[in-house]
Amino acid sequence: MIQATIPHLVEQLRSIVGSDGVLSAHSDVMVYECDGFVIEKSCPDVVVFPRTADDVSQIVRVCNDGDVPFLPRGAGTSLAGGCLPVGGGVMIVMTRMNEILEIKLRDRYAVVQPGVVNVWLTQALKGTGYHYAPDPSSQGACTIGGNVATNSGGPHTLKYGVTVNHVLGIEAVMADGRIVQMGGPAEESPGLDLVGTVVGSEGTLAIVTKVWVRLTRNPQGYRTMLGIFESVEDATNAISEIIGAGIVPAALEMMDQGILVAVEEAFKFGFPLDAQAILLIEVDGLEAGLDQQRQQIADLCMNSGGREVRLAADASERQKLWKCRKQAFGAIGRLSPSYCTQDGVVPRTQLPAILQKITETGSKYGIRIVNVFHAGDGNIHPILLFDERDPEQTRHVLEASGEILQACLDLGGSVTGEHGIGVEKISFMKKMFTENDLQVMDQLRKALNPENRLSPDKMLPTAGACGIEQKHPSRRAAL
Amino acid sequence: MSATDLLPIDEIQRPRDREELVQCVKSCWDQERAMYPLGGETALQFGIPAQVAGVGISLAEINQVVDFPARDLTVTVEAGTAMASLNKILGDEGLSLPLHVPDVERATVGGVVAANANGPARYGMGTVRDYVIGIHAVDGSGTAFQGGGRVVKNVAGYDFCKLLTGSLGTLAIIDQVTFKLKPKPEKWISLLCSLPDWDGAENCLAALVDSETTPTAVELLSGPTEIELVAELQGDGVAVLVVSCCGTEPEVDWMQQQLEQEWQAQGLSARVVTGTDHEALWQDLVEFPAVAPTALALQANMVPSGVVGFIRQVQAIEPQFSIKAHAGNGVVLCRMPEWPTIGLTEIVVRQLQPLARQYAGNVMVLSAVGSKELTHRCVWGGTEMPFDLMGRIKEQFDPRNLLNPGRFVYP
Repeated sequence: MIQATIPHLVEQLRSIVGSDGVLSAHSDVMVYECDGFVIEKSCPDVVVFPRTADDVSQIVRVCNDGDVPFLPRGAGTSLAGGCLPVGGGVMIVMTRMNEILEIKLRDRYAVVQPGVVNVWLTQALKGTGYHYAPDPSSQGACTIGGNVATNSGGPHTLKYGVTVNHVLGIEAVMADGRIVQMGGPAEESPGLDLVGTVVGSEGTLAIVTKVWVRLTRNPQGYRTMLGIFESVEDATNAISEIIGAGIVPAALEMMDQGILVAVEEAFKFGFPLDAQAILLIEVDGLEAGLDQQRQQIADLCMNSGGREVRLAADASERQKLWKCRKQAFGAIGRLSPSYCTQDGVVPRTQLPAILQKITETGSKYGIRIVNVFHAGDGNIHPILLFDERDPEQTRHVLEASGEILQACLDLGGSVTGEHGIGVEKISFMKKMFTENDLQVMDQLRKALNPENRLSPDKMLPTAGACGIEQKHPSRRAAL
Repeated sequence: MSATDLLPIDEIQRPRDREELVQCVKSCWDQERAMYPLGGETALQFGIPAQVAGVGISLAEINQVVDFPARDLTVTVEAGTAMASLNKILGDEGLSLPLHVPDVERATVGGVVAANANGPARYGMGTVRDYVIGIHAVDGSGTAFQGGGRVVKNVAGYDFCKLLTGSLGTLAIIDQVTFKLKPKPEKWISLLCSLPDWDGAENCLAALVDSETTPTAVELLSGPTEIELVAELQGDGVAVLVVSCCGTEPEVDWMQQQLEQEWQAQGLSARVVTGTDHEALWQDLVEFPAVAPTALALQANMVPSGVVGFIRQVQAIEPQFSIKAHAGNGVVLCRMPEWPTIGLTEIVVRQLQPLARQYAGNVMVLSAVGSKELTHRCVWGGTEMPFDLMGRIKEQFDPRNLLNPGRFVYP
């Protein structure tokens, strides 16, 4: 097929969504040249804003007819380049499809459009006794469609699971423009789990246009604690002890001294600046059990060498603690002009080993690395601090990141717990999976995205077959 | 009934490890022989009856625990491991995989995952797909592959754990699974009450949605029952509700008191069952789908608010059905000891599937051994699910259609 000229494409797309739904001037589309992964940039040729599933279907058909690549985007909070329009093409931004369509408390589900911001749903549920459980730290900006694409997690996944555990059904536009429904408000339906397959597929199998989500009962109470430790090792030992005692906190987060200093400067909570590590621990559930759990946790922390354990006195102190954690990334601007967050996972018992490795890697490359992460499920987020205007620093950051992720694999973990592969980690797919594994993944993609126009060059190494050189994004960043 | 009674197989191969499994599959691929994966052989009647002659491939000898780092709350186990063996190993460390399936001495890990077999604890603790974090399998051409890993959070690559769960051995033969685990609860009890009328039943279920308690199971039983306690309580009522709660002792004690009060306010009185009595009741609830003699077993899935209406209408059509609903999940299991006089197609396709659709749901036949009416429409039909898309996936994983051919949803 001959690639359509951009003006002709723009005209076709305007006829679907109207003139105010299409951007094509360079000064407009360059806003979309990257997402949260700022090291890689690539402009889409056209950006289009559908309002209905039918709009999306028509847009996809136009792209197919013109042999033009296309990809979906939500709020662009991806930290792995999941929204990067490699090779240009049409970016389908879902943010105008942003309504909560239905809330059915009796059946514990809601129906939302993909552009609904994550936190809006929980806000809409205020007073009902229910909330939407997946709460990534970016929940004030990220969209539920984006959460579905990346199978987003957040700090409460330890007890409540990730996005896929809360999605009952999906309506989506497939790569050929067809609109299908998979699952729905009923918990089970015959056949393959297409919902579970599409969630986390990073926009490479379908474009989500509606989601049925499970709602979760609000816990009766919370106990939120701050464990203060003299060393990172003591803190990670405490984590092992807590989990090993059969306690499953709702959240178990760690911040090291580096990030603590920035957060304290920004929010003035009263964090002790000389602590090497703090644990933010939250248990929730029935009031009848919370004090016992709290005491158990406090004892385990102190027995692991903790300096003290502070209990959030009331709801507002709890909110403040969580604000510090969830906005920690926003405080990084005080530390350096640029940062690169990694997203590896190790078995919990390997946390001391990976944190040691991170420290060593930072020293090796002369890069400051601070840590704030979901310690309870072994999901680390080392934050590498640098200045992206300096190509040598950028190169070192990429090399250090690579070493840290390889270490995660060596310790039996994964290269991504929640951010996804995107473009950032395509080179790691061959380290984590065998050729057979990748071949079978390619089989799946061929089944649902056979022409490979939907989100090309994402997630899997570029060639389905072996022998063809894969693109290496970091090389482009260094040019 | 054994595999050779229920399937058109004249031999059963028993590979002892993954390598031998791969060889078995490759050999069948080369000879274009149909393959029927076998675990504990407890659910062979599920699906459209097999028609294509082939070979059974038993995973029974691929049955080792590969890795059990208890403090990481994960376990990696081969597919032929019996659920009872796995439960014992986990229990010794104070852990559990809260998937309660019938016939645990025979049911295997691979079979449970392939059939997506779930039990009453699904309300509070989730289902198979919430626990599988890593999977190894061999596709129809003999390609061995894996998805997921051994960590509880992992979004690298496509989620084969989800794709293969419930795929009924039609995409690949599962040979190893990694599960995430939960700590064993300290205490577990059940509360039962008799529901005198259906409006009261729906009010009671709706009230549970607002309750501050956090039940693990919400089971609604109606019609003929073999469970003595339920029969005793049902009396002249329309149904019996069983709510099971687990957790620490103070939590469970509080939930018991709270539910007793909530039910009292609705004019219902609670019978509390604890200790070994609770365990026996729980076992009866778990075994429900497999109780013999059963000529016909169905699973209807719908929104939870449809359960009462669905059960009422099912009983009006056929009062012989024994019914147990996971009422909080909208899953209704229906069992009959004899054939419905009006025939399977009439009852399932013409009456129950449209009824379930009224509640945004569907009906699947779990077993109807010997029936000549087990068509695709009867077993899997009555929904708008994109079976053709699933068929495209099947074509990629099993291009010669050798894995459990003709039994699942593919057109």
